[in-house]
Amino acid sequence: MPLDTSTYSLALLRLDGRRWNELRRLTAQISTQVAADGSSYLEMGNTKVMCTVAGPSEAKGAGGVRLGNDRADIRVSISIAGFSGVDRKKSGRNDKRLMEMQHTIASAFAQNLFTKLYPHSTISLSIHVLSQDGSLLAACINACTIALIDAGVPMHDYICACTAGSTSSYSSNDETADPLLDLNTMEEQELPFLTVATMGESDSVSVLIMETKVQVGRLEGMLAVGVDGCKQVRAILDGVARARGTKMLEGSRM
Amino acid sequence: MPREVEPSVNERQFFEKALAENLRLDGRAFDQFRDLELSFGDEFGVADVRLGKTRIHTNISAEVTTPYPDKPFDGLFTITTELSPMTSPHYETSRPSDPEILLSRILEKNLRRSQALDTESLCLIAGHKVWSVRADVHILSHDGNLIDASCISVLAALQHFRKPDTSSEGENVTVYTLEERDPVPLSLLHFPYCVTFSFYPSTVEEGETVILLDSTLLEEQLREGSATIGINKDGELCQIAKLGGISVDAVAFLGCVQVALARVKEISTFVIKRLAEDAKKRDKGDLMAELRAENDR
Amino acid sequence: MAITILAPAPAEPIYREVDPSEDSDNGGADLEGDHEMRPTKRAKHSTFSIVTPGEVVTDDAQWMRGHGTYIQPGSTEIIATVAGTIQKTNKLLSVRPLRARYTPEIGDLVVGRIMEVQSKRWRVDVGAPNLADLPLAAINLPGGILRKRTETDELEIRTFFSEGDLLVAEVQSLRQDGSASLHTRSLKYGKLRNGVFMSVTGTGGGGGVVRARRQVWTIDTMHGGGKVDVILGVNGYIWISKHIEVAGGETAITRMEESISATVYSSQNEYIGPETRTEISRIKGVITLLVEQGFRVDEDMVMKGYEAAVTVDDEDLGETNVYLGGAKGKKVVDLLSEK
Repeated sequence: MPLDTSTYSLALLRLDGRRWNELRRLTAQISTQVAADGSSYLEMGNTKVMCTVAGPSEAKGAGGVRLGNDRADIRVSISIAGFSGVDRKKSGRNDKRLMEMQHTIASAFAQNLFTKLYPHSTISLSIHVLSQDGSLLAACINACTIALIDAGVPMHDYICACTAGSTSSYSSNDETADPLLDLNTMEEQELPFLTVATMGESDSVSVLIMETKVQVGRLEGMLAVGVDGCKQVRAILDGVARARGTKMLEGSRM
Repeated sequence: MPREVEPSVNERQFFEKALAENLRLDGRAFDQFRDLELSFGDEFGVADVRLGKTRIHTNISAEVTTPYPDKPFDGLFTITTELSPMTSPHYETSRPSDPEILLSRILEKNLRRSQALDTESLCLIAGHKVWSVRADVHILSHDGNLIDASCISVLAALQHFRKPDTSSEGENVTVYTLEERDPVPLSLLHFPYCVTFSFYPSTVEEGETVILLDSTLLEEQLREGSATIGINKDGELCQIAKLGGISVDAVAFLGCVQVALARVKEISTFVIKRLAEDAKKRDKGDLMAELRAENDR
Repeated sequence: MAITILAPAPAEPIYREVDPSEDSDNGGADLEGDHEMRPTKRAKHSTFSIVTPGEVVTDDAQWMRGHGTYIQPGSTEIIATVAGTIQKTNKLLSVRPLRARYTPEIGDLVVGRIMEVQSKRWRVDVGAPNLADLPLAAINLPGGILRKRTETDELEIRTFFSEGDLLVAEVQSLRQDGSASLHTRSLKYGKLRNGVFMSVTGTGGGGGVVRARRQVWTIDTMHGGGKVDVILGVNGYIWISKHIEVAGGETAITRMEESISATVYSSQNEYIGPETRTEISRIKGVITLLVEQGFRVDEDMVMKGYEAAVTVDDEDLGETNVYLGGAKGKKVVDLLSEK
């Protein structure tokens, strides 16, 4: 059992030693690929994700006559490496789960980026997952945010994401059940959890996905913890972007 | 391949202005559903749902097959959705389009992952023979809100369906035909219905996002975000899918969940009522008709 | 919400402290040698005050908002949309991104590559969000500048520029969606031959090529390399080639018809000797080094860099080696920083 409830209530520590409200170590690097317009590498615990941005560049496909061509089109492609999980598995391109993730990320950023500034063009986000240990969609969203900032594409605010879960299973209406922040794979398999992405420091939710059963009364707690976790993520990502900017300015010369 | 016809600029502006004045194009309230009609076919497991002009037809069928090797105690349950050119000319049968993939994903998460149908009850002989239940959802007419309507139709059809009775001795399973023994209903653990919300940017400065329920096709084309909440009448959330789109305040979202719960309770009672009516009709037809001496005049 | 969340204590300090060694441990991710910020001479800006997207720059109503910012309806706050530095010019407040794609301006000299050939125009890649247009009417037709454009020209459009050709042109106008319309109506514009192409960041957000008075010039190279032309496109595309003397030298405007001969649109390269090729490679290395080190790329710096590179190379006895990575590059940089 990843979350042995007997030991949890003793010291209130999860199996990896975290408390209920602690994020895993989140590190991010910006501008990792010089050749790309924007790039990033992000780790949330053991989940490692790389993202590159190409664009805004000329629209692919049938040139002028396209749907909604008064704004930029956002395309996302995710490729999950075969060695990223515990068992080696080559995930096909037409995997429905992947297409749903791609659609989610594209839709979230279509609202966030100022696409009207680049009509008839395409912004391509390419995500590569190197290692999976829970919070996959959240890590992808965070990596995309950093990569887009590196590419200099104007946006309303950071989109920061993280996962939140609940200690007891859905059936027990345990009022004292703690909400958990930032779940790893084992916790995601056993416990109900949701992935939430917010716009910067505000409480407005951009993405909210939950695929497991939970009592409706517990949703509020999970959502509150998730939203606050996103704010912490934003602070970390912002620090990365600023550090890079300062480094660039310091390094520039006459 | 013809492209989807987009709403014209005129339609879009007309719609936005109406929203600013708290009006919907068909005169409904923002949280009002269209009329829901549910009818069943002569065979078991056939349900026809009409939600306004959206019409969905679901067929349930079952056959005996071998289970997956890694799940020897579970039966199989598959849901297939078909968005064909009959629905709208821009859909192609061969290539699944984005909306179709999202629809099938949401139905799958809502009904399969949440174990609405108890797959263990479909097991006949562990590791060898299990029932494979298949739900075919045919979208006959698309006027918005396919997700909610599909979900109602699949759950209604599942409740309506009767699988043939079986008896097993050792390795052999005997499947009785409908004449030999009355078929048995499926074992459904709970009924997670879906409610879809559409979000529009606020028309007032600094205002809240506008939330509409049960959007028509035009309203769907003009929306900037949507969320589908799958919940059953006991207050268990089975899935939430807000796949990007315009952002909504977290507190407002929790309000949506409560609205969804209330709505699902209404739908549940409605479906049960309809099923009861259908059962009564059948009963009158079968048993009582044989015993009555009266003639229809 | 009445829940207080404790900040994760380990997360932030670990990231900051272990930063230098952390990067080398995360193998494969190369943080060194990136394009760095290059402020232009013209704009006044406050160095070292970085803003990031979503941050409120000011809420003073006296400022007008420029590029890189937006104002939410119903408030006077100016919010940054890109990560960059604040630029204040008179009453205009804009945010200059640290890195961005090239955006065309009227009058820019750009190097581009033909991507598509359409019925009466070409579509050129200039590194901008949209492909630029080069109408058939905007080029010099061989046979004279006053020659009438005929249908034959349209049918033989590929004899002028074909897909994949490189050309240098000037931005004539901008269309409403921001895409550029080019022209090559001057002897100094046209198809490029006899050289090598390189791509660095343009004046999108800083770094790389800057707009200057002279973007095209000729270098008298050492070691018997002869004359080498350098064209610095504002969009970051650069062309370094062997200088080909135009027969007859300068021509008056009345004689322009004669000088626009059929060879202008030829795709045939001339013979280029090994010494010239060496010098062309050296110049290419110099420009790469300038970009890596964050110097601005214009005629002045490239000339200084070239002289420094030649000096450093001459110090090493033996074979000429143009490679400027590693120790040699460092020496060049030192020489440059002194000047």
